[in-house]
Amino acid sequence: MVAFKVKAMVGALALCALQVGAFAQDVKLGAVFPMSGPNATYGDLFSSGANLAAEHINADGKLKGKMSVIYEDSQALPQRGVIGMNKLVSVDKVPYVLTGFTGVSKAVSTVGQRTKTVVVNAGGVGPDLAELGEYFWNAIPLVNYEVRAMVPYLVQQNLKKVALIYVDDPFGQAIVKELEGELPKAGGSLVGKLSVPPTSQQFGGIAAKVRELKADAVYIASYGAQQFQIAKQLRDNGVKEQLVSYSAFSVPEIQTLPEAKGTLYSELLIDLAATDPLTKRFVDDFKKKHGKAPTNYVASYYNATKLYGDLAIALQKEGKPLTGTNLLEARKKINTFDFVGGKVTFLPNGTVMAPMQIKTVDGSPSGKQVQVVKAN
Amino acid sequence: MTSYIINLLVLICVNATLAVTLNFIMGYAGIFSLAHAIFFGIGSYVAAYVALHFTGSLLVILPAAMLISALVGLALALPALRVRGEYFVAASLGLQVIGVTVFSEWKSVTGGIGGVMGFPPASLPGLSFESPTAFLIWSVVMLVLILLAINTLLHSSFGRNLQAIRDSESAALAYGKNVAMIKTLSVVFSSALAATAGVVYAFYMSFVNVESFTLDTSVLVMAMVIIGGTGTIWGPLVGAVLLMLIPSLTSYIPGLPQTEVGSIQQIIYGAAMVLLMIFRPGGIMGGKHGGVK
Repeated sequence: MVAFKVKAMVGALALCALQVGAFAQDVKLGAVFPMSGPNATYGDLFSSGANLAAEHINADGKLKGKMSVIYEDSQALPQRGVIGMNKLVSVDKVPYVLTGFTGVSKAVSTVGQRTKTVVVNAGGVGPDLAELGEYFWNAIPLVNYEVRAMVPYLVQQNLKKVALIYVDDPFGQAIVKELEGELPKAGGSLVGKLSVPPTSQQFGGIAAKVRELKADAVYIASYGAQQFQIAKQLRDNGVKEQLVSYSAFSVPEIQTLPEAKGTLYSELLIDLAATDPLTKRFVDDFKKKHGKAPTNYVASYYNATKLYGDLAIALQKEGKPLTGTNLLEARKKINTFDFVGGKVTFLPNGTVMAPMQIKTVDGSPSGKQVQVVKAN
Repeated sequence: MTSYIINLLVLICVNATLAVTLNFIMGYAGIFSLAHAIFFGIGSYVAAYVALHFTGSLLVILPAAMLISALVGLALALPALRVRGEYFVAASLGLQVIGVTVFSEWKSVTGGIGGVMGFPPASLPGLSFESPTAFLIWSVVMLVLILLAINTLLHSSFGRNLQAIRDSESAALAYGKNVAMIKTLSVVFSSALAATAGVVYAFYMSFVNVESFTLDTSVLVMAMVIIGGTGTIWGPLVGAVLLMLIPSLTSYIPGLPQTEVGSIQQIIYGAAMVLLMIFRPGGIMGGKHGGVK
């Protein structure tokens, strides 16, 4: 009988030890980023934000267990993205995966939906990313939200007649739709829309058409090297109207382009000079680690990782396991989160409302803020 | 773990199907094509479009995909195969470039750069392909059927004619063989079979966009054939397995920083290619002396 009691006690202790062990386990999240190939630069940027957030969460000690990020290389290709995503879900058993790039995001979203794994984009801004199911979240405002922030400012500056040059893909078409809807509401008008193929690099003809439109402002809806060429060639071909664009204009190549000087663009409001503890810690630690100021991409992936930390802490407090379903439920319940840059509220479709800012290209690396647009 | 392995196996089968069908023209007819990704893409887009607008039945989708891909292959082969060797490579490169542009721009069918998703699952009477295991069985069956079809063809008079043309086009002509016709038919056959891989891929991924059908994919499939061994039955299979597994296996190397895995993969991949070409130019399953046998 005594032997039985001893065995029972040992068993109970072992069970307790196991439970403590379970709490002390790693809290893993996955990341499917381009870590090699021509887009590896983005993988480096994204991962530097995610790593810093994980370090901060671990240092704070509020999370039971150590947070770690498991990376899989997508090479920005859908097939490799799906292989990486499947490994994260079925081998590493992560309930939360960071991603970027529209093609990869869409491909991995189907795995996320099927396996009830949360997939979070914090890089792409195409509005079609809002339609990938309830397990796919966007931790940054999509471009339609940026257009809504910009239009009232344009009208207020008496730039009411807007001509649009847009890349002919879902991203560009979404901006057409948004400007067609928002400009008349604000008292402006879309006087012309000129599409360019995604691979085009010659815009002399487009510039001639823009001159004929006699607009007050020209909105450039493109990305990558193309937006750089559009801005340059418009000016080279005598277009003197105000140039306008969105957050893709925040890259250093454009900020230092003489022809782009004076361009207005919208961007997520992340005031790196802010003194709130979250932003200050993020900026200071990033500078200490990398010797330079963080970009918006870094901040966005920091926020997306911090979001997982916040949700995990909330679920641990309730004694619930970290599953995709519970994370989704917790996100819906908490809904507003402290991010670097300010409070962010999730909309029912998994995208966020966040404060925006209108900036102008002034030749400095980060542009000059001309207006803050509150989230509404 | 099982799901991950199944996922890898399905994608290995899809790529092996592509490699086997490319090897049919490359290894046995000496026709080097850089447009195989386009036939793969045609299969995928036909599957997505038909499933989205008409039916998910494979009894309709597979023949439709094979027919359209065969017609595009015919359009490439008829003019291009009247010339020899490198001219076909140039023509196929042209088709690859045009194909990618069409995939990107024909938005009503391909969804443009954004691609197509949200189409219903593939089905056969009494069967629906939704689980990963069902896809694995389907992709293995397709691969085996294609291997059998190619093997049968290679052991027929048509196969012997192909190999005769590969070894000496002039000699085959002198023997009265209709070289242009035989080469054209082989390209049409290969294109049609490559489309089946596209059908499996589209339904498995539940998403199709142009990024999967670029020149990089055509080059990767060609690398699978060359590394595995051109003109051999098992070579393309070995090549596909190897090139699909290298990236996945490197992510398990202990002590390797996770952010460096991608770069290490590229180095291993490049070094393996160079070493193979030095010590076994005929590919892993091919002869030591290289070249098409």
